[in-house]
Amino acid sequence: MTKLFRAFGVPLSTVILMFSSIWILGLIAAPQLIMIEQSLWRMERPEGAAEISVQIDGLYNQLDVMALDRSTAEAGTDATKRAADLAALDAKEAAINAEIAALEESESTPVKVYTLANFGQMGAAHLAIFAKTIAASLAVSAIALVVCYPIAYAVAKLETPRTAAVIMLALVIPYAINELLRIFAWQMILNQNGPANLLLGLVGLDPVPFLESGTGVFVAMVYAYILFMVFPLYNVLETLDGNQVEAARDLGASTWNIHRRVVIPHARPGIAVGCIMTFMLSAGSYAVPYIMTRGTAAPWFTQLIYNRFFEATNWNVGAAYALSLLAVCTVFIFGMMRLLKVSLKDIAK
Amino acid sequence: MTDQSTGKAIEFDRASVRFGQFQAVQPTDLRIEPGEFFSILGPSGCGKTTLLRLLSGFLDPTAGDVRIGGQSMVGIDPSIRPTALIFQNLALFPLMPIWENVAFGLEMRGWSRARRRDRAYELLATVALSDHAEKMPAQLSGGQKQRVAIARALAVEPSVLLLDEPLSALDLKLRQHMRAELKQIQARTGITFVYITHDQGEALTMSDRVAVMNRGRIMQVGSPDDIYDRPANAFVATFVGETNALAGKLASTAEGLALMETPLGGFRAANPKGLRAGDEAILFLRPEKLRLLAPGEATENHIPARVLRRDMEGAWSTLVVEAGGQELKLHLAHDGREAPPSGEIALGFSATEAMILPKGEMSDD
Amino acid sequence: MKPAGMGSTLVLRLYMGLFFAYMFLPLGVMVAAGVNSYSPPSITVWQGFTFRWFAEFWADARMWSGLVNSLVIAVAVMALALPMGLSGALLLSQLGRRSAGIAYTVMVSPLLTPGIIIGISTVIFWRNLGATAGLFTAILAQSAFIASYAMLMFMARLQRQDHTLEEAALDLGATRARAFRRITLPFLKPTIVTAAVIAFLQSFENYNTTIFSIGGNHTLVTEIGARMRFGISPMINAIGILFILVTVICAVVWSLLRQRERKREAAA
Ligand SMILES: Nc1ncnc2c1ncn2[C@@H]1O[C@H](COP(=O)(O)OP(=O)(O)OP(=O)(O)O)[C@@H](O)[C@H]1O
Ligand SMILES: [Mg+2]
Repeated sequence: MTKLFRAFGVPLSTVILMFSSIWILGLIAAPQLIMIEQSLWRMERPEGAAEISVQIDGLYNQLDVMALDRSTAEAGTDATKRAADLAALDAKEAAINAEIAALEESESTPVKVYTLANFGQMGAAHLAIFAKTIAASLAVSAIALVVCYPIAYAVAKLETPRTAAVIMLALVIPYAINELLRIFAWQMILNQNGPANLLLGLVGLDPVPFLESGTGVFVAMVYAYILFMVFPLYNVLETLDGNQVEAARDLGASTWNIHRRVVIPHARPGIAVGCIMTFMLSAGSYAVPYIMTRGTAAPWFTQLIYNRFFEATNWNVGAAYALSLLAVCTVFIFGMMRLLKVSLKDIAK
Repeated sequence: MTDQSTGKAIEFDRASVRFGQFQAVQPTDLRIEPGEFFSILGPSGCGKTTLLRLLSGFLDPTAGDVRIGGQSMVGIDPSIRPTALIFQNLALFPLMPIWENVAFGLEMRGWSRARRRDRAYELLATVALSDHAEKMPAQLSGGQKQRVAIARALAVEPSVLLLDEPLSALDLKLRQHMRAELKQIQARTGITFVYITHDQGEALTMSDRVAVMNRGRIMQVGSPDDIYDRPANAFVATFVGETNALAGKLASTAEGLALMETPLGGFRAANPKGLRAGDEAILFLRPEKLRLLAPGEATENHIPARVLRRDMEGAWSTLVVEAGGQELKLHLAHDGREAPPSGEIALGFSATEAMILPKGEMSDD
Repeated sequence: MKPAGMGSTLVLRLYMGLFFAYMFLPLGVMVAAGVNSYSPPSITVWQGFTFRWFAEFWADARMWSGLVNSLVIAVAVMALALPMGLSGALLLSQLGRRSAGIAYTVMVSPLLTPGIIIGISTVIFWRNLGATAGLFTAILAQSAFIASYAMLMFMARLQRQDHTLEEAALDLGATRARAFRRITLPFLKPTIVTAAVIAFLQSFENYNTTIFSIGGNHTLVTEIGARMRFGISPMINAIGILFILVTVICAVVWSLLRQRERKREAAA
């Protein structure tokens, strides 16, 4: 901190600290912590609600009894005594009514209780969706890696710089085109009357309900996020010294062994980034399932989260669901970093 | 330049620098006189730049004090010290034209644009760069950039100019030219120059005084003649100039001289440190003080040797010989007439031209 | 470098060809449906060429209000995320090893968090402070992760900075703030421009974070998403064509600029 002030002087350092803390504390840390907190409580009927309702019943009984007293008093002959009795009864009745109101209030006002129960709200059905989301996201990552590795390697190491530049441009364009549009293209293709089913019809097959079965979600997801694998891979492979590959070949390594021992070890940070991005985008994707299922197929986990928040409006359970997703992503990130022996520093571009 | 900025004195008072566990500068006492051209010479990594940064203010001493013009500089920001620094890599601002580079210090002092522009042009004229004022630094040659850096530093009229190996990036010709130019500027302005270099030729030719540094410690301070002819210790003797070193033990001493036993035999030489009989010591013998003896010629110190090879150096040649299992070098005036010596020869030197110093760390280059 | 052999080169070329077909054919389908008179969007039934769907888009008030919201959000995000990202990068450059490690982890974490979670947590946080979700929360949620991109870009640039330049400025009498303004800021300028463009695009195109944080309001992209679900009108495809056109133009200009910069750097 003193180093900061030494380097930039007091006024500038103050501005830097201000913006940094708005960002780190206000926009990142505090919302996450509040979300965690939100997932850890819910509103419940207060403890001892049963005793309170017995008490309330007792008070209502007293009121009934007082109604009798009142008719007795009204029947009284002494005008002054009658007035006094009635006034006493009025006062007593008012007191009991107030007590009832207070008790009823405390009986029905829920209290905030800290609990892990929000996480337990996930029934078997939701757990299955959670598991399916994770499995499908893993599959998206794996497919993207297998498909993109040859492309990235070819562009980075085999093509002339000119060709490589053109190919990169051709990759940047679909990458930069809005996610929604790329998804929508597949919605059209896989539609009941779309070109995919038209082709199937031409070879004499029955139309397949791609969208309604959930297949469409997976297909569009691979398409939408696959390019997030190409660029990290390309970036690391570009830095690989071509002489290393030639040296390995010169020493008699087969193509497979060159990749296994030289290229892939070098590409580790890129592989980690690519897998983390594709997994995280898939597991956290709301757009793909939203557009590709039209609500007909089983939902994606993100849709469950959305519903907890904006339809069922149970924010506590919603926060718990969101936190579960975040936990899975975090585990995946650290798992990948461990597996590929890369640090967070390597990951940044 | 008409202004006569006067140099200020510099004092290091037990100043030391420590980076974590690493002692980069040992406690140092040193006084540099006003208007002096003072060089600091030493091998790479010995702490020269660190010492300079104590003066420029980018570093405060871990202990001790640094004073300029009698005033303590500890805690004083670089921007208000009376020093200007010429960086090892020059550090010209790449996005500003030359004249703005030169005028930067004046801009920081609140001069109007017109005034500082005029002044920058004046300064550029003194370093013969008027025609390049509107160019960008990347468009200049190495020597030109060098001169811009000098003009930029002089613009703020410092009392002390700090130069960190300013010529190391230049080729030999240009370097010699710039040496003369710097010397001239120093004489004209009277500014105190603290000049860092690991080029001993540079230090010896330009400086009033030189400090030789090793491992964060100043080994000797003195005039170029002192440093070369009267090194204070084994390190200075080996680091400055070429020398032959013969290890051995003192046999006897007499009147500033001593007799020393070495594997090559017993030799008489100067004993400036007053070593006593029985002390371990090293005898230093410059190659130009070693003579080739005519057959049968007698001297006080006599070394039988065998010629290994001869290296042509231009004005002289270096004869590499073997004596008692050790290599020795001597310089031969090169007149191109005599046939170079070969085979078994005899060498000699006079006792006053060799020097016995206590055993100690030597430079390995 | 020489490829391994003719056979494998051919296989690789074929593979690349297939990959690019896979990348571009779906976009072609979408473009074609955007100029087909038939509705709902289709290419299996061709009813002739038309620009009708562009006109429909032009007349759609909700799309226009969405566009205005998108622009408002994007400009606000730029104004917030750039200073935050720059401050973060400058802070990191001056922290000790350990605290820099922690701060860095927090600063890049939004990039590794699913966008919807950033959206949700922002909304929850602000609801607790009594604010309802809307453009404001969308701006903050987007800024949280867009600032991370900016921070990484600034950090990369700062690492390439020659610190002796700042020291030279200080030595010549500049205050820290002036050395920053006169030396560091001009050095960062190209990155500031790039970061601003990227922040704008990221914000404008964002869906996942925005849909979870914008409450009852909408942007152009969330509105497009809502219409897409039922794919009723090819107007969506018409918008898609416009997006693709803008993207292609931007990409080509960008790559030309980059090429020129490379050449200039090579020449210098
Ligand atoms: N900020 C620092 N932190 C830790 N160690 C440092 C730092 N600055 C310098 N050193 C160390 O202090 C020693 C002296 O460095 P200095 O830069 O003064 O050397 P120098 O004599 O100028 O060398 P050269 O001739 O190569 O420029 C070196 O070993 C260096 O590694
Ligand atoms: Mg140095």
